Formats: sequence, C-alpha cells, structure tokens
Amino acid sequence: MDVGSPLGGPATSGIADALKGALPGGTGKASQEQRRVTLILGGVLLTLGLRRVSFGGAALALAGGALLYRELSRQSGQAGAETHMAEVTRSITIGKSAAELYRFWREGGHLPRVMGHFAEITETDMDQAHWTVRVPGGRSLSWDTRVVESRPGELVSWQSLPGTELPNRGEVHFRPAPGDRGTEVTLRLHFQPPGGTLGAAAARALNGLVPSLLVGDALRRFKSLVETGEIPTLDRNPSARASTA
Amino acid sequence: MKALVWQGVNRVGVETVPDPTILQPTDAIVRITSTAICGSDLHLLDGYIPTMVHGDILGHEFMGEVVEVGREVRKVKVGDRVIVPFPIACGHCWFCQHDLTSLCDNSNANAKLAEKMFGYAPSGIYGYSHLTGGYAGGQAQFARTLYADDNLFKIPGGLTDDQVLFLTDILPTGYMGALNCDIQAGDTVAVYGCGPVGLFTIMSAFLLGAGRVIAIDRFPYRLAKAAALGADPLNYEQEEVLEALKLRTGGRGPDSVVDAVGMESHGLGLGGLADAVKQTTRVLESDRPHALRSAIISVRKGGTVSVPGVFGGFGDKIPLGAFMNKALTMRTGQTHVHRFVPRLLEHIVKGEIDPTVIISHRLSLDEAPHGYHIFKHKEDHCVKCVLDPWAAPRQGNASGTSKAMGAD
Ligand SMILES: [Zn+2]
Ligand SMILES: [Zn+2]
Repeated sequence: MDVGSPLGGPATSGIADALKGALPGGTGKASQEQRRVTLILGGVLLTLGLRRVSFGGAALALAGGALLYRELSRQSGQAGAETHMAEVTRSITIGKSAAELYRFWREGGHLPRVMGHFAEITETDMDQAHWTVRVPGGRSLSWDTRVVESRPGELVSWQSLPGTELPNRGEVHFRPAPGDRGTEVTLRLHFQPPGGTLGAAAARALNGLVPSLLVGDALRRFKSLVETGEIPTLDRNPSARASTA
Repeated sequence: MKALVWQGVNRVGVETVPDPTILQPTDAIVRITSTAICGSDLHLLDGYIPTMVHGDILGHEFMGEVVEVGREVRKVKVGDRVIVPFPIACGHCWFCQHDLTSLCDNSNANAKLAEKMFGYAPSGIYGYSHLTGGYAGGQAQFARTLYADDNLFKIPGGLTDDQVLFLTDILPTGYMGALNCDIQAGDTVAVYGCGPVGLFTIMSAFLLGAGRVIAIDRFPYRLAKAAALGADPLNYEQEEVLEALKLRTGGRGPDSVVDAVGMESHGLGLGGLADAVKQTTRVLESDRPHALRSAIISVRKGGTVSVPGVFGGFGDKIPLGAFMNKALTMRTGQTHVHRFVPRLLEHIVKGEIDPTVIISHRLSLDEAPHGYHIFKHKEDHCVKCVLDPWAAPRQGNASGTSKAMGAD
C-alpha cells in the first residue's frame, strides 16, 4: 500500500477502541467536525479491512488504522486549513452495450450489491436511495441521494440531499469501447466535507485509498455482476482459520 | 474434511477444516480423487509470496467427482468425473471469450491487491495465495469450484486419474511453453529445467515438430527422464551452457529456449519488502533468474525465449542488451489451460502423450508434508507427487517417511 503505517503491526483493534474514546474529543465546533469526518473515513477503511482475513484485508486495515492514527495523534489546531474536496474517478470496460448497462444501473436493482462493500443501500424508488455506512463503535453515517440527471445509454448522476454530514455526489458514464470490447464505464464520486475543510492528511488518504476501495471496487463488482451474474466472494471459504474464514 | 494447509514459512500440515459449501449459483463441489504438489507450491511453502495467511489450503492441481451443483449450473451434473483447470475462468469476460482464461477479469476476488502489484489483475487461481483470489485449494478432500460450466472438464470413461490429472496445469503449461516457441519443422529447442513442466515441454516440442530438444538441468536423475523422452541431456554443472549449445548446433544456437524454471519465489510487489526478502533468498535468486539470463544469451539471433516458469516480482540483471541486439521475442503467461485441454485430451486418448511417466511418488494426503519435503530437496528422485486424499496413511509411515512408487 502506498500509505505508510506508523503502526508496528496489526494493532488495529486497539485503534478501534481508541476511536470510541476519541470521537467526542476536539476543540471548537469546526475542528470537532473535521476530526469526526476523518475518523469516520478512517473507520470505514478499517472496517472494510477487518471484514476479511486476507493479506489485502490486513493491508486495508493497516491503512485505515494509519489514517485513524494520524488523526487521533494530531494535536488540535494542527488540522490543515486548506479547502479539499475529494473527487475520485475510475474507469472499467464491460462486455455489454451502453444501453444494457444503463438499464442495469437504473432499473436492475443492482446498486445495493454493487455498493455492498461500502454501504447498505435501500432504493426507495428509481430516483432515490438511502445509504448507510457503518463505522466502528456501532455508529453509522447515512444520507439520501436523488438522481439529478439521467440520459439513457449515456449517464446517470446523483447527489446527496441537503443536511447530511458528508455531502457527496456521483455520476456514472457509459461510452462505447472499440471493437468487440463493449462499453467503457466511468464512475466518479465527490465527497464534500462540511465547510470544505477536511484535513490535508485525510484528503491525501482519500485520494490514495478511497478510489481503489469505493470506486474501483464498485466498478469491478458491477462488471462481474452484469457479465457473470455474480460477484466473486470468499465468504465461508474453507481454511484452518475456521471461525473467521 | 482433511486438507493440507500453510502453517507459516516452510511449514505445511494436514488439518481438519470445514467442508466447502456452494456460495454462488454457478458453483460446484468436487470430491477430490487425485491431487498433486506443483513446483509453484514450493514457493508458497517457502513463504516468498507475501500474501499467504496461516491456515490457507494449498493445491491447484486436482480432479474428482462432482457431488453438488449450484442452481444455475446447467452442463455439469452430480456424478460427473472432472478435471479442474488451475486458472478460474468466468467464461464471459473479453479475455475468457478470447481463450485467454488465465487473464480472466472477473474471477479474482482480490483483484485490487493484484492490481497493486501488476497494474492489472490476472485470473483467480485455486490455493495460490491471496494475490490470485485467496480461494481454498485442492490438496483436500473436497473443493468448491467456481463457474462450474465454464471450468470443469468431463473426463471420458476408460482414462485413469493419473492420465488426466496433469491436464489441470503442468501438461498444458509445458504445451503452451512449447507452442510459444513457434516451432518450425526441424527446429532445435533447448529446455531449461527438467521438472514436470520441463518434461512436458520436451514431449510437446517433439509433438509440435521439433527436430531436436536439448534438456538442461543439474540433477542426473531428471536428465535421465528427459533423455528417456528423446532429449539430449546437458548438465550445466558439468558443461558451460552457451558453449555446449553452440557445439551442438553448429555454432548457431537453439532456435528457441524455454525457461521452465522461473523465479516465482520473488513475488515481491511491496516496495521496500523487495530488498529485505531478496537478501534472505540469495541462494534461490542466484539460481533462478540465471535460467532466464542464460536463455536470452544462449538462444540464436532472432530466436524466441518462451517462459512458462512462474515469475512473481522483479528480476535483476536481465540482459536487455542481448535481448534487443539479437532481435529476440519473448512469450510468456500463466497457462490458458482451458484452451488446451480438448486437444491434449485427444493426444492422451490416442496414446501420443503419456503423462503418467513423470509420476515418481504416490502418497496419501496425510503424507503430503513429506511429499513437499522430498520434492523441495530433490530427495528420493522425486519428480512429481500425486496425492490420494482418501487413502489411509500407510502403516509405519506416520512419521512421514514413504517409499517411491510408480515410474521410478
Ligand atoms: Zn501447478
Ligand atoms: Zn473471464
């Protein structure tokens, strides 16, 4: 992973505990909010990582832990003052037509599975969805999104409704790929932290990690689902780590 | 069920683990009747591939009987006797549809990890580290297999397990290694490494029209195997390879050289880890990339270097000057097993290939750790160990000693 870990080893459960105690900390309302958002993002990474017993999982957990660690060990007042909006874009080629893929995205009811690695999604209707992301300590972060633009065979874009702690928007584009390759699908997610003042470290971490986690994974999951009808899983994969595998 | 699991660097053992279950509607469960230890398993054993976790089940060469299928499985039926190719093909992606199954886009459940190391992720592989999906392997009594209709090949009655087991990996791997040489009638092919893959490369090279095959190794018993297949043995500890090859080819050099050794132990994608691990693997490193370097130097001008041997990470001091100035071609890849199974099966049925000749040991699954030991240390004239997951441990062999059986 490209984010170095200041932790000596997989001491991430300790960090998770530390998180519980640290959440209410911070001085002043703005800094408290920044810390909270960074902690939540770090926590998401940590949760994603710890969910699996694998090298990848361990690396993710460490990276998430590193992000948490940085935030937790930062003295108040040290937070970066620059304005950051995290935006991540990834692209994948899928062997289906743009029209088919658009229909899958809009009407297939696939979104909950495609984003299942990151958020629990309930689609309230074709245009609205409710997202919930669980973070350590039994907490969760949720928001509602509404589709703001959709052009059949071309794009879908959505936006969170006002009032969420982590305003965000996203869009997916479909463009024919050359030859018999199908369609190039580009997914873009923007996270707009409150007040636009997410700390520099958190933003860097977002840029380095979240794209591969959220956007890259979502695209891969979407591709597998529409090409093969399933998303590869390692749940209940036999091993001599019986209870955790 | 019983399974051979990775317990840490240089430690494998047989443990009782949960039985696999159907997880996806296209899965099938196979009751394994024969499974084998592969040279590439040794590098998981050695711990040089950094994505092994204690308790992982090894094994990617296995076959058996289908005992359960998911609700979407159409072609494969319970009771079918099947072989299972080591790369997992989804059957639908662009790569699978173009016969490049070891590059499948969808079957690697840890694709993002592989992308970190290779830029793009190759297919999933059973029992072959988390880099290739983390799927439980087949040195076990049962295995969950994915996308059954696109992966399980039904075996015609009348063929024994020994005859078809190696269709899962090493026979197609040797075949693709020879095919990648683009052999013209009468060509001379030199093959580095007379392990199972090298021996199958030799057989395949003759099948594909090579006039002459020169087999390079340092173990006399392995060179003898190669000679029995019709190859000219060359012991690189006794002769200098470049001069010996020139002498045997009128100074031209072989038309193609196959590296059936590889240096898979260097599966180092994690930046700083590379140097640290390299130091601890000096012996292997001085040995293994040597074959590729020597192949590039000793192949004729305008020739082809074919690399079926597995590489995992970075290679040092590859002679790019020779490679460029001699206008060489290099072809490589994990084997697209699915593409080759039908034609190789035909060769076996017709008696044109006898894969059983490479088997040196038959062991029970309980004896697998011993099999790893003799295979790794080239003891007891070990070439290939076939395991029976259901055989009782041989009496008096509980401590892991076993007798050579079969071809040797
Ligand atoms: Zn193998
Ligand atoms: Zn595929």
